Amino acid sequence: MGDENTALSAGDVRHLLRRTGFGAKPKEVEKMSAKYPTRGAAADKLLKFKPANFRPGGKDIRARQVSWFKYMLKGKRALQEKMVLFLHDHFATNNDTLGDDLQMANQNRLLRQGCIGDFKQLVKDINLDPAMMDFLDTVRNRKEQPNENYPRELLELFTVGVTDFQGNNNYEQEDIVQIARAFSGWRLNEKDDPFLQESRHDFMEDFPKRGPKVIFQTTGSFGPGGRSFTTLGEGATEIEEVIDILFEHTDSDGENTVARRIARRLLEYFAHGAYATSDPPTAAAADAVIAESGFDSNWDLGALIRAILVSDAFYETAGSGPATPRSVKWPIDYAVTSMRLLGMKLKGKDARLDGGARRRIVDHLSDMGQELFDPPSVFGWDWENSWITSRTVLSRAIFARDLTVARGNSATGFRPHKLMDTELTDPPAIVDAVTDVLGVSDRISPTERAILIDYLTDEGVQSSIDLENEDVVERKLAGLFAVVMQSPAYQLH
Amino acid sequence: MAISRRQFLGRSGAVAGGVVGASLFGNPFTRDAMAMTLGDRYVVSLYLDGGNDGLNTITPVDNGGSGALRADYEAARNTGSGGIRLSSGELLVPGGPSLLDPNTGSQLGFHPGLYGLSNLYGQGKVAVIQGCGYPNASLSHDTSAKVWERADPNRSGISTGWVGRHLAAHFGPSDIPAVAVRGSIPGEFDQTTTSVLTVSRVEQFNFPYDSSNGSDSTFRRNALMALADESLLSGQPVQSQVGAADKSTLLAADSYPGLHDAYEDDRPSFDQMYDDLGTSAARDLREISKIIYGVENAVPNVNARYFELRNGGYDNHSDQGGGSPGGRHYNNHEEVGQALETFYADCDDMGVADKLIVFVWSEFSRRILQNDTGTDHGTQGPMFVLGGTVNGGVYGNHPDIADGSLESGNTIYTQDVANPYRSTDFRDVYGTIMKHWVNVPHATVLSNLLPLDTGDPNERWATENFDMGFL
Repeated sequence: MGDENTALSAGDVRHLLRRTGFGAKPKEVEKMSAKYPTRGAAADKLLKFKPANFRPGGKDIRARQVSWFKYMLKGKRALQEKMVLFLHDHFATNNDTLGDDLQMANQNRLLRQGCIGDFKQLVKDINLDPAMMDFLDTVRNRKEQPNENYPRELLELFTVGVTDFQGNNNYEQEDIVQIARAFSGWRLNEKDDPFLQESRHDFMEDFPKRGPKVIFQTTGSFGPGGRSFTTLGEGATEIEEVIDILFEHTDSDGENTVARRIARRLLEYFAHGAYATSDPPTAAAADAVIAESGFDSNWDLGALIRAILVSDAFYETAGSGPATPRSVKWPIDYAVTSMRLLGMKLKGKDARLDGGARRRIVDHLSDMGQELFDPPSVFGWDWENSWITSRTVLSRAIFARDLTVARGNSATGFRPHKLMDTELTDPPAIVDAVTDVLGVSDRISPTERAILIDYLTDEGVQSSIDLENEDVVERKLAGLFAVVMQSPAYQLH
Repeated sequence: MAISRRQFLGRSGAVAGGVVGASLFGNPFTRDAMAMTLGDRYVVSLYLDGGNDGLNTITPVDNGGSGALRADYEAARNTGSGGIRLSSGELLVPGGPSLLDPNTGSQLGFHPGLYGLSNLYGQGKVAVIQGCGYPNASLSHDTSAKVWERADPNRSGISTGWVGRHLAAHFGPSDIPAVAVRGSIPGEFDQTTTSVLTVSRVEQFNFPYDSSNGSDSTFRRNALMALADESLLSGQPVQSQVGAADKSTLLAADSYPGLHDAYEDDRPSFDQMYDDLGTSAARDLREISKIIYGVENAVPNVNARYFELRNGGYDNHSDQGGGSPGGRHYNNHEEVGQALETFYADCDDMGVADKLIVFVWSEFSRRILQNDTGTDHGTQGPMFVLGGTVNGGVYGNHPDIADGSLESGNTIYTQDVANPYRSTDFRDVYGTIMKHWVNVPHATVLSNLLPLDTGDPNERWATENFDMGFL
């Protein structure tokens, strides 16, 4: 059992940097090990930032996708961006439906500013986020005919979830109906601020009186009377009151439902490959990080993340043996990590890879199954092994190939001599150097290493490799980098 | 039309590259498994993603002999601005098998946008199966889609798909019995050992060995195949699954891209018909057609028999529209109906119409009472099964939509045989397909694929009917 004072091994540091950022460069591992040698010190270092005010810029959604990608590629605040990605998935809103890149960018900034802050406040802000209000029909929710779209997802996805750890329902259909009534009447004004615009309002001049509303008469430990949420009156106070009540809901174990669900999701995100194994985070793991952080009363995401990053649950997945649970890199993680480790930049205004068919990065990402600002639905993306299909495997392989055939000496080209000692001639040493650059030397089994050596030597024909020879670099060294990035082990972290 | 294997190989770039090894030519295990079950038949699953409004798909035209379905319908659906009511006059009643509700005798009609499917119905090629649902319906897209995919209404934690359980029992990890024309593996195919291929377009399925270094391609392919095999054996569940995906990808990349040119060259008029439709449903069905074409022409390593595609956009909480072109639901129906009609004609021309079924489903229907300009989530709706040997007609009863019979605006699932509005459990439809099309023995379907519920037989699926009659 470890705690925040537990010293980190080099493998632990690599694991920490891979999961909380975009890959671990050998120098970064050295520096972290030397300056922040314990779990607590390293977590504090990673969490020591004030969220940036960054908002992806550009004239359309493509430009904003590129803007966000480049921001991630800079790698200055990797954990911040990992959290924005998590929240983008959690409060999934897609531009494909919305068709408003500015609202999407504004939502992105909102998520960034709240990424290590008060989660309850963030949900309240999401209630009135213009992109969300439009995406889930809050702006079309009328008193006479309440629209259940947003209230359903508020319960199912954003807060309590359908069922608890015991498989018991956390709410009933009637709760959705009641909450839908409270969200009727909201509109957006021309500046996209939430505002009751009288001319488009629910048949009444002021906020429509919709009468008393009661929720959770059968769940949440509120008793058969449930909880009324019109005690402060109707309108703006009412929809905040709903959130306050949701955050008081307790599950059939008597534990705070929202806290456990968010702790579980973040454990899945940072610590486990839960969707791919039969061993998802347990109630005990969730309860432990909640107890450590006080998340069920302070709702402090930063504190919850710190609790996860000092926990055994997190470092149990750091080992290199086959028994260690693995997590599939998200496509964005695969792309940003690969480019960052190779020290490569995008070319031109439309942000293309300089190699292969010189395709735009946004097209590569789309083929790999992750278009920023366009999660497939309100459920976000399917994680873990769902990222891996024959089609996405092929798309990742194309991306890896394109990176390694980019020529030229500028930062848009593939420059292995900047990354490793090209005076090496011994095939096993070259393989080790390449897997080290790509941050997977600890994840390649002896058999996999032998396969890579076999490849490099043309299946045993060459005993020495001359990396000063341009043709050899073109054919075999670029090929070795590509094969490693295409290999199953590299898809995982 | 048909081309010989030699001709095909001659024009297939991937094969001409010399990458394919002899071991890829045919797979006795695959053939064996096929013979044991599906034979030379095909199954296509078409998922209407988002919850299709069944009441505005197969709609009462009149009140029939004993019921008031039309009156109940008109009470639930509005006319005028934002209204979504379909008038009796605009509903499509094709010739062919009668289109009457077996329970009330009410005349039924297809949504005006669904003319493609209506035309096929007129030719006797479509079974309409009404009132398909399951006990204790979930109104969550995600939960309900998983119920349908896993055939697990009790949400008991089954994590495999109902087709996937069958595939896993009959195919090995590098076989490719199933192809999904989409980005992710569909839930109904989900299982642990058999690889499902996901393609968007077959011609793009070339593995990027790096064309400028052709001489190195064989080494790269060998290394990647060895890494895939090693990962399959790693004992690490996730790495093993990545290895399986890699292996089927490498195998398929040898054979699938050539299917595009072969199909285009040999079937230009049909190729053009899909182009003319220009919709994603049409393009996706064309990819399935190319693969079927490959199987029929014995192209190496192309053995797929199970297919899946989805058409999205049915979650019409607002702006659903009525029976006029341009409405969201009209557009959904038009896209799917047209694409199916063309696909059927294409398969018929290839001589495989009688070896093919397409079944159409959605995770739920929509609220009987409309909201402002659309519909919220609901419960039971119609399914369709189409194919050359399908017994066309109407199966199952229209749900009771009288205002007083609804629960929170939704129809109520019942298996009570005395109830004239008895529901159709979707597992009876799946079971009929497995028994009468895939040739899985009745007892095996029940024990391995679609286990019965326990509990009150009037409220649960406690007695199966795998002989619904449409196959």
